[in-house]
Amino acid sequence: MKQEILLGNGAIALGLLEAGCQVVTSYPGTPSSEILPEVIRWVKSESLNTYVEWSTNEKVALDNAFAASITGKRAACCMKQVGLNVAADSLMSAAYMGTKGALVIISCDDPGPHSSQTEQDTRFMARLAKVPVLDPSTPEEARRMVALAMDLSEEFRIPVILRPAIRVCHARQSITYGDLKGNEKKGSFEKDPTRWAATPRFRLLLHGELNGKLREIGKRFDTLSDYNFHTLESGKTYPFGIVAGGVPYAVVRDLLMEQAREDIPVLKIATPFPFPAELASTFLEACERVLVLEETDTLIEYLLRDREKVLGRLSGHVPLEGELVPQVIHHALNHTLKELDLDPMEGESDPAVAELVKNLNLPVRKPTLCPGCPHRAAFFAIRKSKPKAIFTSDIGCYTLGLNLGVVDTCLDMGAAITMASGFYHAFSQDGVDQPIVATIGDSTFFHSGTAGLLNAVYNGARFILVILDNLTTAMTGMQPTPALGIRADGSEGKAVSLERIVAGCGVDFIEVLDPYDLKKMSEVLKKAGEYLKEPEGGIAVIIARHPCLIAYREEAVPEKKKVVITEDCAECNFCIDRFECPAIYHDQELGRTNINLQICSGCGVCLSICPKGAIVEAA
Amino acid sequence: MKTMNVVLCGLGGQGILFMTKILSQAALRKGHDVLGAETHGMAQRGGSVVSHLRLGNARGSLVEAGAAQVLLALEESEGYRNLPFLAPGGALFANTSSPAFPREEIRGYLAEKKILCRGVPATSIATAMGASLSSNLALLGYYSAFAQDPFNPDDLRETIAEISPDRFRDANLTVFDAGFQRAGEEKKD
Repeated sequence: MKQEILLGNGAIALGLLEAGCQVVTSYPGTPSSEILPEVIRWVKSESLNTYVEWSTNEKVALDNAFAASITGKRAACCMKQVGLNVAADSLMSAAYMGTKGALVIISCDDPGPHSSQTEQDTRFMARLAKVPVLDPSTPEEARRMVALAMDLSEEFRIPVILRPAIRVCHARQSITYGDLKGNEKKGSFEKDPTRWAATPRFRLLLHGELNGKLREIGKRFDTLSDYNFHTLESGKTYPFGIVAGGVPYAVVRDLLMEQAREDIPVLKIATPFPFPAELASTFLEACERVLVLEETDTLIEYLLRDREKVLGRLSGHVPLEGELVPQVIHHALNHTLKELDLDPMEGESDPAVAELVKNLNLPVRKPTLCPGCPHRAAFFAIRKSKPKAIFTSDIGCYTLGLNLGVVDTCLDMGAAITMASGFYHAFSQDGVDQPIVATIGDSTFFHSGTAGLLNAVYNGARFILVILDNLTTAMTGMQPTPALGIRADGSEGKAVSLERIVAGCGVDFIEVLDPYDLKKMSEVLKKAGEYLKEPEGGIAVIIARHPCLIAYREEAVPEKKKVVITEDCAECNFCIDRFECPAIYHDQELGRTNINLQICSGCGVCLSICPKGAIVEAA
Repeated sequence: MKTMNVVLCGLGGQGILFMTKILSQAALRKGHDVLGAETHGMAQRGGSVVSHLRLGNARGSLVEAGAAQVLLALEESEGYRNLPFLAPGGALFANTSSPAFPREEIRGYLAEKKILCRGVPATSIATAMGASLSSNLALLGYYSAFAQDPFNPDDLRETIAEISPDRFRDANLTVFDAGFQRAGEEKKD
């Protein structure tokens, strides 16, 4: 046995390899991004022959893993919760078809939300698709649950979802682990069109089969005592109990243990669907009232049907949005205990200090693009050239173009393009010539750009699309994109050209440039604007290509320029407001605008932005 | 053992995750169960970053407000922002060169809750050692002079030597030692 401090995502990766998972696919997204890299770390160190891939999107990842699972292999696919929306089409159908080997979908939730568009609850997606869902409380439990999920999936031939929340994924815990396994089982495909290519007539039968599986699994979950259990003493009744699952269970368990509150029983539900109904009934019968603490929505609360006894979000006892951090749980618990005339828990934090801190008027720390980020250069040129445009954008580091006033919309992956065409038609219908500039990152374009671009071309939309190509998937941790020809494990793959895809979508105006060259970028934007107005014009695509400074530390700025601000500076703050480079700041002590050379990347882009020409290269 | 709770905070890019890693690894070496929570994703691009570390028999990775014994802040304002985490009798170590630290408005609160409060010029210490981006190690060195098992200076030093990448090992140790020495000098005063 070995011991290591691991991220929850590392613990999940271990669980996959301990369970002999043979195929792992993923698309990166916080908080799930580290699972596949951690799998790869062990695949390499233990010389396993597990197949791994960064897929182009979550649906692609799920379809690939599903195919492996119906050859009898053990497969997994990892994504963030909103990624499961992209894969939902595949999930719903795969639930009916079932598996032959194992298919475990790891969908990581983000209560808060810290790094997502929504606080949606994957457990509801499992309920919708009718597949079992496991909800771990800690990294260690997540690691063990992967094996449980694999076994269940294989035994019942059903996809199983593991739903770790961000406080599992990004928790660190010391983990002890055993032997890891690679590709040990040979795959085979038995043709069965009534299942693997089922028409609606057979789908009805498959639905019945799925319902039967869920009934059996529900019974199993009633007795799955390592994960679902209560702390009732037999024959005793209680005025109050807690029903908890996932991360909130860990918080409740710590709180009750620290304060030795043995008078409050707990029902832990780690498998909210199919619901362990019998276990829950036993608990409800012994308690006059129960408070449900679960993330992120109200699945357990809905499934506990007694509206008199059950308190939670629906009754106003637990906040409907936001993360259930320990102080929120402590407060909700005390509020409920006091309402029921029971002793509250001790040690609730002093709310006065929060007020005190609020009155300090601390600076708001907005995330910003890094010094030298090529996106900043592109955004600066776009705003300067097209000040009246609607700026549709997308999901990635460049969403931070918000700070530069060059991101007006951010809906979902790929929507920079689809919303641009939507805006075009909405205005053109009114006879209005509204300029539109869409920005999308390279990885996001590969993920969901092409269908929208094809559609826009086909339906005659006219806008400028700038593909911000920094040659990596930066926000989620520098995963390679299909354009690089480097695969997840570092091996060589076939590089796929962005230009060729864009041309293949029917775009006739394609210009590739380096956004560091602001002059060139402005010229091309002007030319693109003219192209939109030509009778034969259409969509103009500019590929703004410059490597990310984090991913390509050495190559991204080959000739570093030393920049200074001269006495010509009028302190107009144009550079600070419109360029927003963390290295340009107002120095309180000097009383003037200054360059922080510690963090300046030396990219030199700012040399051409100052209206007074006060930013110059040092002699 | 009662759970020991540490909160580390600062801005994205200041090396909070590495500082947390050193403390966790040091605790693991001494046989403690370690649990922590980290910030990943967009906030790492210069936003507020917080990291939690818990030693003992805890299951939840987050420290509750009012329950941290130690708060390490790589930036003064972030230290104030995370003040609600500190328990009465806890300690705040903040990277600052401001002579006005801690701000007037919170002095009453710190005294009432018996919170030890130390401003550490960690960035200047690191810069003087030629490693301006290693204020995290300077702050850690300073803190270690006040810390107890498993975070005493020798334990942390050994851990830093063990987990630093080769090319940074010597520099990391030099900055850590400089932070530690600064605390010693101040204690004498």
